[in-house]
Amino acid sequence: MITVKNLYHSYTKDDRYAVKNVTFEIEKGEVFGFLGPSGAGKSTTQGILTGLLQLQQGEVNVVGYDMRKPSREMFNKIGVSFEQSNVYNKLSALENLEFYKKLFDVPTLDPMFLLKIAGLDHVANKKTSEFSKGMKHRLTFVRSMLNNPEAWFLDEPTTGLDPAIASQIKDIIKEKNQAGTTVFLSTHNMYVADELCHRVAFIIDGEIKLVDSPRNLKLQYGEKLVGVEYKLGDELKKESFSLIDEMDRLKLNDIINNGNIELMHTKEATLEEIFIKVTGRGLQYNETSI
Amino acid sequence: MRLLYNFLKDMRLSSKSFYFYLEIGFTVIIIAVLLFVVPENFENNLSIYLHLDVDDALYGEIMGTLGDNSTDEITIVDSREALEEAMSENRSSVGLSIYRENNQTVYNFVLQGYEEEKFKNIIKTTVETAFANEMFGDTDNITVITLNQGVEKLSDRINMIPIILTMNVSFMGLFIIASYIFLDKEEGTIRALAVTPNRMWEYLLGKMGVLLVSGIISGFLLMAIMVGSKANYLHFSVLLITTSLFGSALGLFVSSFFDTMTKAMGWLFMIIIIFALAATSYFSPSFSPMIIKFLPSYPIMFAFREVLLNNPDINYIYMTALGFGVATIVLFIAANYRFRKTLTI
Ligand SMILES: Nc1ncnc2c1ncn2[C@@H]1O[C@H](COP(=O)(O)OP(=O)(O)OP(=O)(O)O)[C@@H](O)[C@H]1O
Ligand SMILES: [Mg+2]
Repeated sequence: MITVKNLYHSYTKDDRYAVKNVTFEIEKGEVFGFLGPSGAGKSTTQGILTGLLQLQQGEVNVVGYDMRKPSREMFNKIGVSFEQSNVYNKLSALENLEFYKKLFDVPTLDPMFLLKIAGLDHVANKKTSEFSKGMKHRLTFVRSMLNNPEAWFLDEPTTGLDPAIASQIKDIIKEKNQAGTTVFLSTHNMYVADELCHRVAFIIDGEIKLVDSPRNLKLQYGEKLVGVEYKLGDELKKESFSLIDEMDRLKLNDIINNGNIELMHTKEATLEEIFIKVTGRGLQYNETSI
Repeated sequence: MRLLYNFLKDMRLSSKSFYFYLEIGFTVIIIAVLLFVVPENFENNLSIYLHLDVDDALYGEIMGTLGDNSTDEITIVDSREALEEAMSENRSSVGLSIYRENNQTVYNFVLQGYEEEKFKNIIKTTVETAFANEMFGDTDNITVITLNQGVEKLSDRINMIPIILTMNVSFMGLFIIASYIFLDKEEGTIRALAVTPNRMWEYLLGKMGVLLVSGIISGFLLMAIMVGSKANYLHFSVLLITTSLFGSALGLFVSSFFDTMTKAMGWLFMIIIIFALAATSYFSPSFSPMIIKFLPSYPIMFAFREVLLNNPDINYIYMTALGFGVATIVLFIAANYRFRKTLTI
């Protein structure tokens, strides 16, 4: 569905690359995540894949179109949601969607239906200049679904949204994916990546450090930990034990045998902990989101 | 079809924006000024400085002839030096020095230096015939050059209309279309459009359509109120449409070199100021250096002037329209090519 080979991109057209030797492939029906901190090159990659940035070096094929010379027809098959919402402020939410709807040569979804999904049906006729940031973001998001895209590009789809709305958005993404839509998702939010993606690529400084499924990553890099709260005499103690470390296992065994356990739970490594392990750097997200 | 949707959407957007009314508002203000402030005709005659170094008899005769010529302002100066000095202070003047040499009367014309050949001939012929024929009957060494066509004169008020049409209708578009494009860019909506099957040329042409509408409204408003039914509106429309499109295509082309309005502004402003220079040649044809004739505003002004005449030079009007039509296409293709690469970054 999407193939990228040895992709390089420099905004300054010199050797300062925003994206360096990026190679990956996305299968039909997959949700593929780009996880990386700010400035890693996620939006740049999405820009090239969606034709907003010119392909400088490397091979990119999206839904069967070579991005060296993309045909306008391609845009009937893809949908793009942006990091920063971009709607016509002087038009109402409905007018915005009505206009974009007419630009496609393929059957499109009903704008009112999409507004409903976005929870914006009650303000359909309100000018978007009166919308909150989150409302505009949701409008930008559902606009990208208008043409029922085969490949769906989502740049930070939940960033800056309140948890309830973010979770609705995630549900929509899951639903669409189950209906067959391939998703390319950029985020610096490990929870989003973990929850939605079949595979994630860790990207930092324009380079992909690894690509794998969240589950494999956790199995491979995550130390399985068990958190235990137990009584030692009158004292309540809290401790974490690794299931891999021999000493820890013996200690844990001991506590279990003594039978003074109050609480016990398994802790698995988060994608962020793995990210730090692999890249030596955190995701440093500053906007709170789910 | 998409072009139509783009146009309709842009009409809707711009009808809610200040820029759409800028040109029309300006036109209304200008109409008011023309009607209530500018007189039908204002005095703007060519001054003549005359230096006479002749005997009293001839002096008297010359002065007698001049007596009944009241339209032109004639000032007698004492010396040749005074004549040149006076002329350097008044740029719309010519000098004439008459003196006796070797028993002959010598007529020495002093010009500013930037007059056109045609204009020099007019002055020379007029003065020569006035002085020589009437007074001395000595016509042997005087050549009278007849001009190709009679010059039709417009009232001073109507005479301003071509300039207003050129600057406000054709070239105001430079600014306005640039603002439209950069507003869209700032809003990010260009990027949203770029990921639909919509084509760049459809987007750009839609914008030009909006400019054309405001150009037509302003142009026809001005003409209907100031000129009424006297003008030929077919010629006018053809010229108005081609030059308005030219202005916006040029605006697109210039904008395509910049990524923000602020950066483009300086250049656009400079271009408009330079184009406005053509008005100086329009008002005083004696000042028509080559460089001004090369400004696109120059032929546009004169072509609009033709539209206002009773016997317009149809050929000139349509050649101008054709020329600007071709230039519009070239600029548009270039702007489209550039924007396709740069507008969505
Ligand atoms: N228009 C631009 N011009 C020049 N440099 C740019 C431009 N856009 C991005 N960059 C640079 O390219 C690099 C990658 O940026 P990019 O926007 O792709 O990162 P990102 O992973 O999307 O970050 P974020 O999480 O903040 O959105 C950064 O160093 C950034 O400064
Ligand atoms: Mg980004």
